[in-house]
Amino acid sequence: MTFRRKLLAVFALTVFLSVAAVAGLVLAMTRRAFEKTEDQQTSGLMAEFQREFNRQGEEVTQRVQTIATSDAVTRMAGALNGTAADSAGYLDLAKSLAESRQLDFLELLDGRGAIISSAQWPAKFGYPESGFETLAAATNQGAFLKQEELQDSTALGLFAVRAARAGEHPIYVIGGRRLDKNFLSALDLPEGMRALLYQNRGDHFSPDFLLDPSGPASAAAGSRPADKFATLIEAVRQYDQEMTGVVQWSSDQADDEVFRAIPLHGLGKEHSLLGILLIGNSRRPYVELKRHIRASALLVGGGGIVLAILLSSWAAARVTRPVEELARAAQRVAGGNWDTRVGVPGSDEVSQLAESFNRMTTELLTQKERLVQAERVAAWRELARRLAHELKNPLFPLQLTVENLVRARLQSPDQFDEVFREGSRTLLAEISNLKAIIGRFSEFSKMPHPQLQPVPVNEMLRGVAQLFQAQLQAPGRAPIACQLQLDDRLDSIAADPDLLHRAISNLVLNAMDAMPNGGTLTLRSRREDGKVMIEVADTGSGLTPEECERIFTPYYTSKQHGTGLGLAIVQSVVSDHQGRISVHSEPGQGTTFIIELPSNSEALQKIDAVKKEVTSAG
Amino acid sequence: MLGLALAAGAETRPQYGGTLHVAMRAAPTSLDPADKSQPDSFDRRSLTLLMFDTLVTQDESGRARAALAESWQASAGGQRWQLRLRRGVRFDDGTLLTAEIAAASLRVANPSWNVAADGESIVIEEGTPDPDLPAELAFSRNAIVKRNADGKLSGSGPFHVVDWQPGKKLTLTAAENCWRGRPFLDGVEIEMGRNYRDQMMALESGRADLVEIAAEQSHRTLQGGHAVLSSPPVELLALVFSTDVRSADDKMLREALALSVERGSIRSVLLQGTGQPTGSILPNWMSGYGFVFPTEADLTKARHDREQVRNVPAWTLGYDGSDPLARLLADRIALNAKDAGLTLQPTAAGTANVQLARLPLASAAPWVALAEVTASIALPTVKSKSGSVEDLYAAEQAELATQRVIPLFHLPVSYAATVALKEWRLRPDGSWDLGNAWLGSAKP
Repeated sequence: MTFRRKLLAVFALTVFLSVAAVAGLVLAMTRRAFEKTEDQQTSGLMAEFQREFNRQGEEVTQRVQTIATSDAVTRMAGALNGTAADSAGYLDLAKSLAESRQLDFLELLDGRGAIISSAQWPAKFGYPESGFETLAAATNQGAFLKQEELQDSTALGLFAVRAARAGEHPIYVIGGRRLDKNFLSALDLPEGMRALLYQNRGDHFSPDFLLDPSGPASAAAGSRPADKFATLIEAVRQYDQEMTGVVQWSSDQADDEVFRAIPLHGLGKEHSLLGILLIGNSRRPYVELKRHIRASALLVGGGGIVLAILLSSWAAARVTRPVEELARAAQRVAGGNWDTRVGVPGSDEVSQLAESFNRMTTELLTQKERLVQAERVAAWRELARRLAHELKNPLFPLQLTVENLVRARLQSPDQFDEVFREGSRTLLAEISNLKAIIGRFSEFSKMPHPQLQPVPVNEMLRGVAQLFQAQLQAPGRAPIACQLQLDDRLDSIAADPDLLHRAISNLVLNAMDAMPNGGTLTLRSRREDGKVMIEVADTGSGLTPEECERIFTPYYTSKQHGTGLGLAIVQSVVSDHQGRISVHSEPGQGTTFIIELPSNSEALQKIDAVKKEVTSAG
Repeated sequence: MLGLALAAGAETRPQYGGTLHVAMRAAPTSLDPADKSQPDSFDRRSLTLLMFDTLVTQDESGRARAALAESWQASAGGQRWQLRLRRGVRFDDGTLLTAEIAAASLRVANPSWNVAADGESIVIEEGTPDPDLPAELAFSRNAIVKRNADGKLSGSGPFHVVDWQPGKKLTLTAAENCWRGRPFLDGVEIEMGRNYRDQMMALESGRADLVEIAAEQSHRTLQGGHAVLSSPPVELLALVFSTDVRSADDKMLREALALSVERGSIRSVLLQGTGQPTGSILPNWMSGYGFVFPTEADLTKARHDREQVRNVPAWTLGYDGSDPLARLLADRIALNAKDAGLTLQPTAAGTANVQLARLPLASAAPWVALAEVTASIALPTVKSKSGSVEDLYAAEQAELATQRVIPLFHLPVSYAATVALKEWRLRPDGSWDLGNAWLGSAKP
């Protein structure tokens, strides 16, 4: 990954994390705020319900009291306490009293709890009122919740009990109002809130018992089935305590409602659970705000990332470009182009780095020049030393021979002819030797530039092997076997055939010199990583590591009579072909020279193209 | 003194004039007595006999009395009856009553009869002996009607039609040439389809002179200063099953239901002491043996019977939704049934497993009454063989043994009138007779 991309990633990540953190914080705070508001609203609605409950309870109590003290009831109480007590005539009394006092329920009971008259179930006269003892005990209390059994249903109501006493046996007046949708409608509900009432009847939840101000919740099924409340209501039924639950109406969270379920109890020791008030709060505002925040966060985050990109582009101009320039310059230097400068204006650290780099490259150049100069001087010294050494050998016999000739002329004139003949032969041989030495030096100094042509490597190697076959098996020396291990798949390479031939030949000669007692010369060719590998291996005495290091140095030789130029020539040829030569050897294990040459296919194509042009022109 | 005496005397002597305003619950859409689409009711009988006459009437004992027929005799063991028509009777269109007209009228009402005119008599022949034919001829549905070609109906009753709005209002005027003599009233206006409450309000506000009242309201109405006439118990209130007994379990459950009903409390409270608890189809005053049939509830036995049945179905109990008393009765019976472990769901819808039915007794003649009741609830009609009480008892027991009907009460029919209405009376069949009625002053 480039520096610019890393920078971009860092900027983008920073922006993203910042925005995410802020958004998360805002969401958390928003959720808390909403929860707090929800609690407050629910508590407010609970208080409202309680107020309405108390208000209606007081109203019911008052009306029941009025009925209990009315003339009609008083007369009835008096009559029923008399000798000819006949309650038959009061069958309709409860109904008319209930209608006049706008009560949904009214029953008149005798002292034993038998129904004299019932507004809600007229036919129930004479039947005992269930839970009479508890009701009688509530005579002077406030209103309470009670489930009233009707002909075909059960209703939940707010009731009060009063007694009318006009004789020995009181008449109990039990009146009440239905706790239904009208009661719920009377509640002042804030926006987004609603109240439902569940009448706790039966052993299991039934949607038919759930009321909301628009009517039975089961009737308004459609998209809001009442069955969704089952879990919450069953939990309240089981644990008989306030519970909170979320009702999911659809896959859209905004449709969710949070409901608090509050159990409503009746009279008596059992305080049985008669109903459950459900206060619901829509989550729409919260969810929509959350979405808004999230969208804003994404927008800001996206914007931030775009900004990060822009910023990184700007930063690139200020930061990454100089760094990239430095990196490129370093690469150029590594590639050998030491004369590299980086221009980075400014005075910051990057500019300082660029300055340091420039100083470094300048120093490197200077050092290189000095080194080159030193090597040149060293090479001249080496050449001079070598020349002196090479020339000294043949010159000494020359000097001796001339001194012998002078002595012979002076001391033994009759043997001068013989001595002159001997001396002449020696002089000519040494002069020939000198000429050979000078010729080799001259050859090395005049290494031509390679003329590239398609060269079939294997064919060339075979040619070399054949050329030296006679020498390898020459009488008077231990025989050397020649092995060819050639890769037949090798194509031609672009090379100078003569120079390459010379190089291979020099290696073969060296190998022969390394095996005075015979051995095996192996010529190999193979392809490796797109390069052509040529190996010349011998089974001679091998080289030490120090010898391996110096073996390519010009004028270095381990031979008694070597010029030390052979391998230097090979290295020069290989280098001119953009190749590489290396040596692998261990003492006693033989030596292998490995030449790596590029296949140079582009050069081959150019050569072919030129040939075709020439051919077509011709 | 003389003025007072004169005034007092004037008040006791019938006066001609005045239009009587009547309100009733029934709302018939046809005045044809033979129209079987119109349900039988006391109101309908009352209406019919204002415009039409029967050949025979009945007294309180159920004995036949002459009306349009002066005399009659049976032959062939009661299979053939010959009735001699009264002479000089005219219909409201002036036509004289003839045997042919009478026979034609009877043939329409009784397609199974073989009715023929024979001079000034009509001869009625049935396939089987029918000793009660005269009682049947007293039914209002057998009133003699002259059916004109244009569809108009003519009658020989004390009033004839001036204006008829089916189901709403009927306006009658006195028949000047009625064979019984012109009625004292000039006319009768009848408002139909009024419930008890509306009728009572009309009476109290003076808009109606004669209304029906629910039996349980009779005491209260009397206390209100109105004249109240109640008939003997001429209506059977019963539970009628729509199907025959299907299985032994069904039989057991019907028995349990019959034993669960507490007639006593229903009578004293819902019926306000009127009516008679009964276990028989015919009232005791008619049969003489009604008391034999048990009426007391036996909840223990009822529960025991119910527990013999494993799968107890829920029954629906149908009642007349326009009758507030019917609703109360149905609710109470359902409560009683619930005590016995039976589920009875009251419903005002048309069809139900059990129906709380009011069955008006058509005649004071017990066999005829029994036959009419059983026919109305689709039970096999039993004809009298010997006419004896034992026969009658056996026949009634057989009907009750089908467990299609559970008699509950025999109820009177009651009417209230303004004190100004004089000489109005009730017939044995529960209908009112205004033939001799007249309107005095409203002061008592």
